[in-house]
Amino acid sequence: MSAAEFDVGRGYRLNPQVALRPEPFGALAYHFGNRKLSFLKVPELVELVRELGEHASVEDALATVPEQRRSQFRNALASLANSDMIRPQD
Amino acid sequence: VEEELLVEEVI
Repeated sequence: MSAAEFDVGRGYRLNPQVALRPEPFGALAYHFGNRKLSFLKVPELVELVRELGEHASVEDALATVPEQRRSQFRNALASLANSDMIRPQD
Repeated sequence: VEEELLVEEVI
């Protein structure tokens, strides 16, 4: 999936195969399936990813982010979706 | 304005 195909109208959640480890800068995300490691470099993004599954859509989740940072966070989520760290809700 | 990347991927 490319960033362009990331549908903010859909609900996403953290992949059950991914472990998030809190770090001073944000968190490390490790995918036990594809063995990818991602650095989430701001705590606000970590919080957003953790709470993603509680929102009906990515758009709803992004509404909790200050408007001027929304595009940046949307791109970050698209990147995480691309590496299967987050996946569409069932 | 260069956008800071919030996610960096690498094992």
